[in-house]
Amino acid sequence: MTRTVTAALGRLGRVRRDALRAECAPLAELDDVELGARLLADTPTHEHRDPALLRHWAETATGFGTRLRSRCAAAEPRVVERPGGIDRLLLARYVSRPTPTVELFTDTLALGEELVDLLGWRDWYAEGALRATALAHEDAHRLLHGDAALRRALRERLGHTALRVGRFRITGHVAGSEELAAHGYAAARTGLGRSPLLLTAALASAIRALVRN
Amino acid sequence: MGIVILLLMLAGVGLMLTRKLPTAFTLVLLAVAIAAVVGAPFTGENSIIDTVLQEGAVAQAATMLAVLIGSWMGKLMAETGIASTLVRKIVEFGGDRPTVVALGVLLVSALVGTVTGSAPAAMMAGIIGIPAMIAVGVPKTTAAGTILMGIAAGMPFELPIWQFFSTTLNLPVDTVRGFMLKLFPFAVVFAVLFVLIETRRKGVEHTWSLAAPGERSAADRRRNRARQLGDAPWYALLAPLVPLVLALGFELAIIPSMLAGVLYALVTTTRPREMSKRLLRTLYGAFDIAAPPIALFVAIGILLAAVTLPGAVEALNPLVTAISPGHPVIFVVVFALLTPLCLYRGPLNVFGLGAGIAGVLISAGIYPAVAVLGLTASYNQVFGVADPTSTQTVWAAQYSGISPQQVMVRTLPYVWCVALGGLIVTAATQL
Ligand SMILES: [Zn+2]
Repeated sequence: MTRTVTAALGRLGRVRRDALRAECAPLAELDDVELGARLLADTPTHEHRDPALLRHWAETATGFGTRLRSRCAAAEPRVVERPGGIDRLLLARYVSRPTPTVELFTDTLALGEELVDLLGWRDWYAEGALRATALAHEDAHRLLHGDAALRRALRERLGHTALRVGRFRITGHVAGSEELAAHGYAAARTGLGRSPLLLTAALASAIRALVRN
Repeated sequence: MGIVILLLMLAGVGLMLTRKLPTAFTLVLLAVAIAAVVGAPFTGENSIIDTVLQEGAVAQAATMLAVLIGSWMGKLMAETGIASTLVRKIVEFGGDRPTVVALGVLLVSALVGTVTGSAPAAMMAGIIGIPAMIAVGVPKTTAAGTILMGIAAGMPFELPIWQFFSTTLNLPVDTVRGFMLKLFPFAVVFAVLFVLIETRRKGVEHTWSLAAPGERSAADRRRNRARQLGDAPWYALLAPLVPLVLALGFELAIIPSMLAGVLYALVTTTRPREMSKRLLRTLYGAFDIAAPPIALFVAIGILLAAVTLPGAVEALNPLVTAISPGHPVIFVVVFALLTPLCLYRGPLNVFGLGAGIAGVLISAGIYPAVAVLGLTASYNQVFGVADPTSTQTVWAAQYSGISPQQVMVRTLPYVWCVALGGLIVTAATQL
């Protein structure tokens, strides 16, 4: 498997590989909160929001995920490994029906591992950590999906007011916050040095480079 | 002679299905061919030039204007942030419960659809609504289907469609409104059932995607930029209700009701100095959106004029009488089974050849006009959602990242039931 992927990034010429490194370097300069804020900014419903508010939300939601405890869930999901993630721009997927299943896209994971080497990011993302991160990420979705109180806690923490009439106040849902919580949870569980969002962004660049090739 | 006309129609369907020729052009060609075959004179009374082309072209003028004003209203609601605020509020209130968010988006699509028509409504509700649903875990096909089922739920109250049926079937708007009120419960019940059953059946889906949720085509990004205006005030969000309340509650005429909606959306969102500029800009922009349906309505008018020529009616009468079921039960069974023929620009598509067939059914005196209204309005509920070639279906599917055929397969059972309901009501009350 690793061999085919070496072939994947190896297919890029030296010039293109340098270009990819140059494209990813500025990403690494961004702090993790900014990466989270960018994810929110790209999520519909946040088009016009103040960047400072988005940063605040990104930090809060990620932090919520970091402190999230894994509970003894009723049943562990089935894990399926399959190729075909690069074509669909997917790294992992959780479906709750018919049976709760986590799909891991092996080609994307392998490309991620190789990309970490290419970019010299091993200090942040240990060998094999990406797979564990993906499992933990989807695990967080499963935790949140099955626990309304947990979701309410996240909403309260973010404190976005959707409606206020006098003292009466309804906290609104912040689209994208669960995704950030899942990344925060996964990063903490697997001990990553940087947010999984950094590697996600770099992977998107790498796939664009492969397509251009 | 009737057989020749049917063969011509079949050839027309072939041209449309294989996309050799756009629907509008095919219908006009078909109309001229039918008129020629039945021996209509070149000019004068019941002629190709004066009756079919001249009178036919403007027969649907009221519908075209209603469509245009609907697009105008849509443009205005998009530019002033009314549409995006509606969807955003729904997502914020619906929160993290996929079913609640989907039901909310369903409601917004229905509401927006009543004034703007299907294609603009799909985009207005879908641009924010589809990614928002996907973000809370609604699977893609369910998300696209929710937008379309929502539009279908509002479709019985789509004012341009009232005008279309009124003109095409030569019925007073009151009669159309009356039937639509009976069709509405079926449309709503099955739309809600779609969301409840599909979200339960398919569960939730969360992806770790490498594409940013809002990262779509350049055109969508432009639309997003145009939307960076902040929230419209809460009372402006009532804008889509204005035409509905006037036309349904106060029984006002359609075009003035819709114009009132345009004015309401304008005054509640725009500073006086900017009003006339914005009004004109959105009106001109609306022509772009309304161009495809308007071209189609010109062609439908021409086709209708051709199939209702005395010669055509005479030729088709025995044929249609022979194959049209008279007994109410058989009427329901036969036309329910024929429902798929309105898909893929098929012969029963009311915004195509189906309009011509409806014209034949009425002018041949086989069914009362109200029964034909029931038949065509029931079919309209099906292809407005499930036809993989209709604009809103293609758009919603592509924006969700699935194929239009997947949407068709998922929604067809529900809209087929709606059509069946409409057919039963028709048979029970009109035959
Ligand atoms: Zn996720």
